[in-house]
Amino acid sequence: MEKKIRSVLIANRGVPAVRVMDTCRDRRIHTIAVYSNPDRLAYHVRLADSAVHIGEAPPLESYLNMEKIIGAALKAGADALHPGWGFLAENAAFAEMVMDAGLIWIGPPPQVIRAMGDKVEAKRLAQKANVPTIPGLSDVRDINQIKHWLEEENITYPIMLKAARGGGGKGMTRVNSEDELQVAFAKAKSEAMKAFGDDRLLVEKYISKGRHIEVQVVGDFYGKVVHLYERECTLQRRNQKIIEEAPSPSLDEDLREEICYTAVRLMREIGYSSAGTVEFIFDSMTKKFYFLEVNTRLQVEHGVTELITGLDLVSLMIDVAEGKPLPVRQSQIKTNRWALEVRINAEDPITFNPSFGTITRLQLPQGPAVRITQGVYEGAEVPPYYDSLLMLLMTTGTNRNGAIRTMDRVLGRDLRVEGVKTIAPLLLSIIRHPKFQAGHFSTSFIEEHMDELVAMFEEKNTEDEVLKIAKYVAKISALGPQNWM
Amino acid sequence: MWNIVRPGMSPKEIVKVLRETEAVMLTSTGMRDAGQSDYKNRHRIHDLVTLAPYYEKMGLFSAECHGGARWHVGIMNRRESPFEEIRLLREYMPNVLLQTLIRETNLWGYRPYPKNVIEYVVSQVDIDVWRCFSFLNDVRNMRSVAEIVMSRGRLFQPAISFTQAEWTTNEYYLSVIDDIVDLCGGTDEIILCIKDMAGVGSPKRIEELIDAIKQKYPDLVIQYHRHTTDGLALPALLAAARAGAKVLDVEEDSLTRFYGQPPILAVHAYLEEAGIKVHLNREVAEEAVQKIREWINHYYWAESPFKGFDHNVTKHRMPGGAFPSSFEQAEKGGFLHLMPQILRVMSLYNRIVKYFDVTPGSQITWVTCCGIVNKYAKEKGEAGVQHVIRLLTKFVEEVDQDFEKMEPHEQEELLQLFRNAPGDFKNLILGKYGRLPMGWPADWVYKSAFGDEWEEKIKERTDLSPLETVPPDDLERLRRELKDQIQREPTEEEFILFLMHPKDAIDFIKFREEFGLTPLVLPTNVWREGLKKPGDKVDFEIDGKPYTIELVSVGAEHEGLIHVVMKVNNKTRVYTIETPRAKKKEVRKAQGPNQIGAPITGTIWRIGNPERGTLKVGDIVRKGEEIANLEAMKMENAIVAPFDAQIVAIHVKLNETVEEGQLLFELKPLE
Repeated sequence: MEKKIRSVLIANRGVPAVRVMDTCRDRRIHTIAVYSNPDRLAYHVRLADSAVHIGEAPPLESYLNMEKIIGAALKAGADALHPGWGFLAENAAFAEMVMDAGLIWIGPPPQVIRAMGDKVEAKRLAQKANVPTIPGLSDVRDINQIKHWLEEENITYPIMLKAARGGGGKGMTRVNSEDELQVAFAKAKSEAMKAFGDDRLLVEKYISKGRHIEVQVVGDFYGKVVHLYERECTLQRRNQKIIEEAPSPSLDEDLREEICYTAVRLMREIGYSSAGTVEFIFDSMTKKFYFLEVNTRLQVEHGVTELITGLDLVSLMIDVAEGKPLPVRQSQIKTNRWALEVRINAEDPITFNPSFGTITRLQLPQGPAVRITQGVYEGAEVPPYYDSLLMLLMTTGTNRNGAIRTMDRVLGRDLRVEGVKTIAPLLLSIIRHPKFQAGHFSTSFIEEHMDELVAMFEEKNTEDEVLKIAKYVAKISALGPQNWM
Repeated sequence: MWNIVRPGMSPKEIVKVLRETEAVMLTSTGMRDAGQSDYKNRHRIHDLVTLAPYYEKMGLFSAECHGGARWHVGIMNRRESPFEEIRLLREYMPNVLLQTLIRETNLWGYRPYPKNVIEYVVSQVDIDVWRCFSFLNDVRNMRSVAEIVMSRGRLFQPAISFTQAEWTTNEYYLSVIDDIVDLCGGTDEIILCIKDMAGVGSPKRIEELIDAIKQKYPDLVIQYHRHTTDGLALPALLAAARAGAKVLDVEEDSLTRFYGQPPILAVHAYLEEAGIKVHLNREVAEEAVQKIREWINHYYWAESPFKGFDHNVTKHRMPGGAFPSSFEQAEKGGFLHLMPQILRVMSLYNRIVKYFDVTPGSQITWVTCCGIVNKYAKEKGEAGVQHVIRLLTKFVEEVDQDFEKMEPHEQEELLQLFRNAPGDFKNLILGKYGRLPMGWPADWVYKSAFGDEWEEKIKERTDLSPLETVPPDDLERLRRELKDQIQREPTEEEFILFLMHPKDAIDFIKFREEFGLTPLVLPTNVWREGLKKPGDKVDFEIDGKPYTIELVSVGAEHEGLIHVVMKVNNKTRVYTIETPRAKKKEVRKAQGPNQIGAPITGTIWRIGNPERGTLKVGDIVRKGEEIANLEAMKMENAIVAPFDAQIVAIHVKLNETVEEGQLLFELKPLE
């Protein structure tokens, strides 16, 4: 049943599209980009071998429009489709449509996507596979149910309300005391309805000072599932990850083995194939981990895993999609370095308000321990309709300090983005923070330390200086002597 | 070894060297007063630093390179920090004493600063020789500067402001020097400067004065500072040296024009011929003079439009350092043709209100006198100007300032003369700067300045030094204010710049954030005019790394934008430059008592006052409360509410330049 993939349509834009294309180009697979009106001149379009226009700026008319994308794939003669991450990556109906259209879906089976997309169902399956789950209650209908459960299980506040269909940090509400419960419950219900069209909630104990650890897994169609070790994604702001690393500084070898094999067990149990991630919350006080969810897609932060293992996850996904058995055995997968990733978002580093406009200057870092996946180029427009991710910056080192040291250089001395604001100053402040450097942080690190983190210490760079001088020379050459002189 | 005095020597050691050396030493003002007097202080450190290697070998007593208006013009017009300048000069001439000029409580600004600010600022500036003068010769005002400088082991050089007038007798100066010697605990650790800032001392007068001082204080080392305005500098310097002055101020011959110091090579030759030894490595000095010719022509535009010596300076007494800026102001304000009349009014005014025409006094004189002349010119034309000159001439020269001897209508007119005088004039006669050297002016001056409130105002008048009367500033609050304005933690140096000149320091910091090291690396022609035609290049280095910027093309203006294409180290870049919008906006003038207009043309840099902060529409203001402050010609002018009122409208934005009479506020009187 092996089918050679010769041409792939990438149903995405920006960084994820570029990332998938990079591997396709390595493998001499023809790449087809799709683009909306404002993305006419976007980087992913330039990079592709061919491109298809799919509609207006709003995602529903372009990157979320399943018919148009499948139509584009057929028109362009693609034989496979890769969804990247975000947009339609975890949409089971879309995966089915792709396959029904006679195309190869480069991703996990639709039924697995569907099952894992339902938090209640996912938790049930996890429990069935003997994976520890956070004490909680599924399918909550009223607050008395919650109160009863708290009493029965002897659980104390805070607790977390989650949309049954939620994911990616959306539709979650933290409840700190019984006083807040009524209001929070109503809010969570209505938000879940708005975001996911389903107001079913589940409630869980809130693990404070929790750390977010996830295990990268790849499976093939022959029941073989391997893990590529874990990633630590604890640093988040507004439940969105901004710094990730591999391996996790929180785990010792025993725990690492346990958490990785737990993930493999679950994925094997649910019949997973292609690349996916099992997310856990790790309680560093008790050294216990609990199942959170399965991400049935390639994740943004997959690159750090690639860096420590030397494997190409997109390439493995293509192999699996072609029907090949996994080309690696678990015993061959070894890690030999530390990798750190930061997300360069076009946002104000203090308010996180998105920043749009033209990138007037883009100076990228280089060096033997640096990896960049960029979604933009100097002169590109950052349109207001989509994700604010401009690029992923990764550094490696023989150990964590080495990776941090290179990242410090990359952010402080090399990377320059002008024309839009980025969170780079915040990222630099975080990686310089003693608690980050010591590995002592939790998911609430950024909110707890925001005041210390906003200070900007960009370092002097003669290239910056000469451009300031050039700007002055340009101004005076155009305008002549100024009054203030 | 030519450097017989060096940084690091104690004041006592330096004074000892000067007492023992047979020769006269020289201070070059090439890096400060030369530029201030003939080039509006526009000489950039980029050019001046080329002299440093020569200064290092010339055997100067010191290099005056700091202070006066150089500090303020530096941040405002050259966009250079005085701290940067010191660092550069220390690097290139480590063995030369660096000298500043400081205005007692007015430091390097134009108003008395609180004692805590003075102490803080003076303790942070790395200067070896501190020449400190008072435009009132009020030695009390020097105390804080003297204490900090002397306790830091730096050389304090108290100056007496010199002018030639019937009231500036030897006895008068000796009494000032008595105060100085008391303040400084004797004559062993100071140099006394005679500061002839206008260049009015006749050779004979200077010789007499120094002789009188030397008779009373034979061990006191004297330095003579003089401008060349009257054309008699060389004989005056010789006279001073003969009478016993040990240090003389000079500048490089190629810098000399009309209002600065006399030429170094000429002074050397003239004194040596007269049998006075001059400590100078002449060969190197000649090289320095030559070096200047490489860049001095880049500053043609900064020279005073008024050319030539002016012996009448002995009457109007405009100091050399104020010449170019005053003429520039007159040119910009369109009243250059009135300059002879303004100078004439100054020569009469300075006999009515007696103090020394040097900063900030010279600015007060200037703004007051050109205000009077302009008012008459505007209302009654040239005849009006002639009329006011006749009136003042009669009052000063014919009736010997006996107010009662003037006709009633003339008295009436005199009583209006100072009504629109700047706030600083009013502060001056109320004692806010210190005691006037010859006592307070006559009562009619107060009536003229304050109208019906004059008696009340005289009660406010104080004999105390501003060191005692100016309330301390809250430094931490000011630091936070600066932080808020620039959105980051300021450096110590930025904070000091802010303490001196709040508004201009912020402009400076913002300029440097935008344009970085530009003021330090660009040659002066490019700094001023940019690159002129395609293919023109500018080469420079940063941290030893070479860079080249080449102009490719300047596009045509389209909708207020010009595109400039340049190669920056071979990489082509396009810059979009906004042109100043040409739309001319009509200026609304204040009319009627409820509309408050700008008293003079200037910049509104504060709306509200420090006590209440920014004022807005709807706020209630009290009579006499400052509602805005206008800066013009480096002077701050308070605009006050004329009655208790509510603010109905504010027609000015912060930092807007306004014309005289332009509507600023509309007020509604409170019932």
